[in-house]
Amino acid sequence: MSGWLTPEVAGQLADGLVVTVALTVLTTISSLALGIGVGAARVSGGRMTRRAAGAFVEVFRNVPALIQIIFWAFAFPSAFPTGIRATLFFDNPVVAAAESVTGLSLPYYAFAACLGLTLNTGAHLAELFRAGAGTVARSQVDAARLLGAGPREVQWSIVVPGAVRGAFPAITTRLIHNMKNTALASFVAVPELFQTVQASITQTFRAVELLALAAAVYLGLAAAMGLALQRADVWLHRGRDRVAPS
Amino acid sequence: MSRQADFLAEILPDLLFGFPGQRPGGLVLSVVLAVVGVGGGLAVGVAVGSALDARARALRLAAEAYVTVFRGIPLVLLLLFVHAVIGSGRLPGLHTTALGSAFVALILYSSSYQADIIRTGLRSVPAGIVDWARLMGSTRWQVYRAVKLPYSLRVMQPALTGQGITLFKDSSVVVIIGVAELTTSARIALGGDVGNAPFWVATYLTVGLLYFAVAFGLSRLGLAGERRWRVRGRIDMVAVAE
Repeated sequence: MSGWLTPEVAGQLADGLVVTVALTVLTTISSLALGIGVGAARVSGGRMTRRAAGAFVEVFRNVPALIQIIFWAFAFPSAFPTGIRATLFFDNPVVAAAESVTGLSLPYYAFAACLGLTLNTGAHLAELFRAGAGTVARSQVDAARLLGAGPREVQWSIVVPGAVRGAFPAITTRLIHNMKNTALASFVAVPELFQTVQASITQTFRAVELLALAAAVYLGLAAAMGLALQRADVWLHRGRDRVAPS
Repeated sequence: MSRQADFLAEILPDLLFGFPGQRPGGLVLSVVLAVVGVGGGLAVGVAVGSALDARARALRLAAEAYVTVFRGIPLVLLLLFVHAVIGSGRLPGLHTTALGSAFVALILYSSSYQADIIRTGLRSVPAGIVDWARLMGSTRWQVYRAVKLPYSLRVMQPALTGQGITLFKDSSVVVIIGVAELTTSARIALGGDVGNAPFWVATYLTVGLLYFAVAFGLSRLGLAGERRWRVRGRIDMVAVAE
């Protein structure tokens, strides 16, 4: 029964899982930062800032994540002349350092995948953040103002945390979606879980078994993320009752 | 610059409609994939979503498992899995094309999201309306069919529209089994020719723009529809309640 799951295959899959988890952690952090930044700019920036943030959200939300990843990985470098391209993306001290740290043979592609995922997920999160900002009670903002808080302080101590709290269930869903989207990095030669599964299929011809195993792993990751983010939600709401502000 | 324009002009019909002899493909096929996924998914999603809200515990648990599984795995993995099972001839008497596998996978995937949306809708039906309909002598089934389901579809219309647009964008991953929609067409048009390297940026910007135009256009249409529906919907529901 387990003849196909040789130690070699299992090792490959484990390596892939590590890359998937790393991609997920990195893009979760960067997307949250980007989403909160753009979302805040969209809610309380000046006129031009709001416009720019709005355009950013619409563009990066409405183009498929896969297209964005392929664009940054394969299309963008090819805009540069051959000689410069090699030095800029594949053969310089920074790339060499990234290579030795991560153990990836083409770290630029992993970077491009992270960039594509971050822009896409960040745009989605910014939109959720905007909806969340709508749940921050006007009275709370006014009270902070009356107590002498400046606009900046109100923004970062009242509106931003309130918006994140209000939108957190939707943010959770999106971040889990982002975890699933890391499988798209396989299209640009990043050896994450789905890519190693495909490589193992060509070696063992056990497509159904390997894909079922990968599905189970992704389900486990989704469940683990769901639990972790649920904890984060509880932590965000510490010391507060859950009654909606009137 | 004009070489870029020439190249784009040459491949644009392929990106929009597919390659000659293999039409419909390209953007048209992307839309077809989304329409089939959303349409088929809605039929399954209504059934599963209603099961999620059912009184029978076994039914609820089965529906819950369905939603958890198909929402918890990447679509690209589901596609490959479905194609490995029904596209390889491993099941007797069953051998679909890549397009058939894509339809099945998209319906499974879409329906799990739609089921969850419909469950939310069913739970948002005001108890008063349901009680009233029951008092008038309707059976549970009649209340479900004539009141609860239409109500939930209507209040959840914005969420369902958003999900449909998401599916349209997500359908790009069918490139993994070689269905010649927009993303695959771009890949084929560029091919393995190193000489085409200068055209990658322009080609993928065009592909992005095409996805954007349809997705953004549909979301704007959805907003407009929402405004119209909201007013009519409210009046209809008041009529039901009275």
